[in-house]
Amino acid sequence: MPKSLEHTPIRQRDALLQLALPVITLGMFVGFGLVEPAMLSAANVANVLKQGALFFFLAAAQLVALITRGFDLSVGACVSLVSVVASMAMTTVTVAAGPIAGVAAGIATGLLVGAVIGAINGALVAYGKINPFVATLATMSIFGGLSTTISGGFPIFDLPRTFTFAFNEAWWLFLPAPVTMAVLVGMALHFVLSSTAPGRVLYLLGDSPAAAHAAGLRVRLHLCLAYVASGLLAALGGLLMTAQIGSGEPNLGTNLVLGSIAAAVVGGASLRGGKGTVLAPALGSLLVIGLSVGMNLLQINGQLQPVVIGAILILGAAFDLLRARTR
Amino acid sequence: MTSLALFRGRTAVPLGLVAGLPLMLVAACVLTALYEPRFLRAANLMNVLRNASFLSVISAGQMMVMIVGGFDISVGAVVALTSVGTATALVFLAGWGLSGIGLLVLGCLAGLVPALLVGLCNGLLVSVGRISPFMVTIGTMSIASGLAAHFTGGSPIYGLPPFFLETLGNGRLAGVPGVVFFAAAVVLALWYLQCQSRGGRYFNAVGGNEKAARQTGIDTRTYICAAYVISALLAGLTGILLTARVGSGEATLGANLMLQSISVAVIAGVSLKGGVGKVQNIVLSSLFLSVLSNAMSLARIDSKYHVIVFGVVVLIAVWAEARGTRAEGSDA
Repeated sequence: MPKSLEHTPIRQRDALLQLALPVITLGMFVGFGLVEPAMLSAANVANVLKQGALFFFLAAAQLVALITRGFDLSVGACVSLVSVVASMAMTTVTVAAGPIAGVAAGIATGLLVGAVIGAINGALVAYGKINPFVATLATMSIFGGLSTTISGGFPIFDLPRTFTFAFNEAWWLFLPAPVTMAVLVGMALHFVLSSTAPGRVLYLLGDSPAAAHAAGLRVRLHLCLAYVASGLLAALGGLLMTAQIGSGEPNLGTNLVLGSIAAAVVGGASLRGGKGTVLAPALGSLLVIGLSVGMNLLQINGQLQPVVIGAILILGAAFDLLRARTR
Repeated sequence: MTSLALFRGRTAVPLGLVAGLPLMLVAACVLTALYEPRFLRAANLMNVLRNASFLSVISAGQMMVMIVGGFDISVGAVVALTSVGTATALVFLAGWGLSGIGLLVLGCLAGLVPALLVGLCNGLLVSVGRISPFMVTIGTMSIASGLAAHFTGGSPIYGLPPFFLETLGNGRLAGVPGVVFFAAAVVLALWYLQCQSRGGRYFNAVGGNEKAARQTGIDTRTYICAAYVISALLAGLTGILLTARVGSGEATLGANLMLQSISVAVIAGVSLKGGVGKVQNIVLSSLFLSVLSNAMSLARIDSKYHVIVFGVVVLIAVWAEARGTRAEGSDA
């Protein structure tokens, strides 16, 4: 096994920089809490965790693409299309065969849609050798367009109660359902990325595609699989968001792409590939969602929030550069 | 002369698609005219020409940034910010009693200030800060569109001076919309820069191989920064022209223009790796997309399908470019 694969990405980093983000995130919560005590109430913390969990799936989807030195701009369109298609499948099957079968069919179709979108992105990037930015920009346009045409632009109502209850209102293992899901998926993703061969190959691939190729690895296959994983994670996020909203929305993911990149990069994923663990999207999404909820509580104009997100993006990228230089 | 030969060698590569561009444009026109004779009516052709003009101006800026090896995601947001800024400035200055040409010039110059700031911000962060252009411009896009929405508070700015709307919005010269002349001036200026001046060549040199360009004594930072400023100013100009056309300052103006400007540039054969791109092809590519869009509207295809078709066209274009560069690699 090549030597570079033996180092975990975590060990390569400075311990100080490791601690910076958790401290900043915690400091932000405490800061908002001092100004507005409602920030730290149990209900609000549960709300932040829940929103953060939903966002985590998109940031994690972005992380997998970023590790390979790619992008996935189509995560938002994937969420929208999954929301629409899964809801249509769910309502149709529920009428024919009851809510349990309906929910199962909806989830299955949703995940299938995510995998197909990921496979198309992966094929374009890995086998078509198309720049990931432009490839996913184009598929974003295509799948975003598909989700509005399929639904006719209208939300899909009448989802079975079972679905919204089980995946939004219920508590699994002492945590709200989306949070439990995020923790489980996060742990699974961490295991795959850090302890299995395909996961480790992604890091090498991002660090140096030439080295991965020279090591005799199937570069194209792994690159393609990374985008499939990204599509699946985005689809999971789309399903949970649909459960939260209670209807299939053709514009559900439109505004989430920017935030997902911001969360992953602020958390420690690098645009130069080969870096970032599951902690990156987890902490990054808590920071982004915490900021947004905090600003809402302080009644800061909602239109100014993109300004803050944009500033975080640039700062995160600058921070990323600093990390690369100090090493 | 040697530098000319050098660049000719580079630009010759992705032309497989670009050589087909005039053919594609003619084919699109002929097919649309055969399917729907209304396409050839003067009013419709002027419409196509006007849309192509907006697209050419903003895409020419995108091309300059792509030539130095970056992307400008913020162009759409700059259009919105300029629209809001120009409208605010015009209403404010008109309140001071200004009118006529003075109002027009001052208002538009004031409206371009935010665009200039965004461009400088992009350029400095990318060239001096060495931060990824993608992250920088996606960040400034978020900031600019947030500010535009904040200033308008969600409702358009009305009450623009009629003189502004009559001249820039609906003005015609010899029956041709005024916008077309603006676009022609921009394209000519960039053509002169690219083909007749040494500075224009430097942009290509910086994008083709930044390290080599720096070692030959080119101030690479200045050229990278200048490309982002040009792009933002051209996006600002598009914003002013669109505002005059729409008749109010809108924070949602230009939402689709980012994607469209990149599509136009990619179809025009501008390389994603930098160093390659010609403004003449931007014009052909803008015309092609406008004809395509017009044909779909004439055929009563729902506008929701348009984005899907554009996405597919872009994929075909980049795929062809990727094949072209691979062929070059095997030659070398």
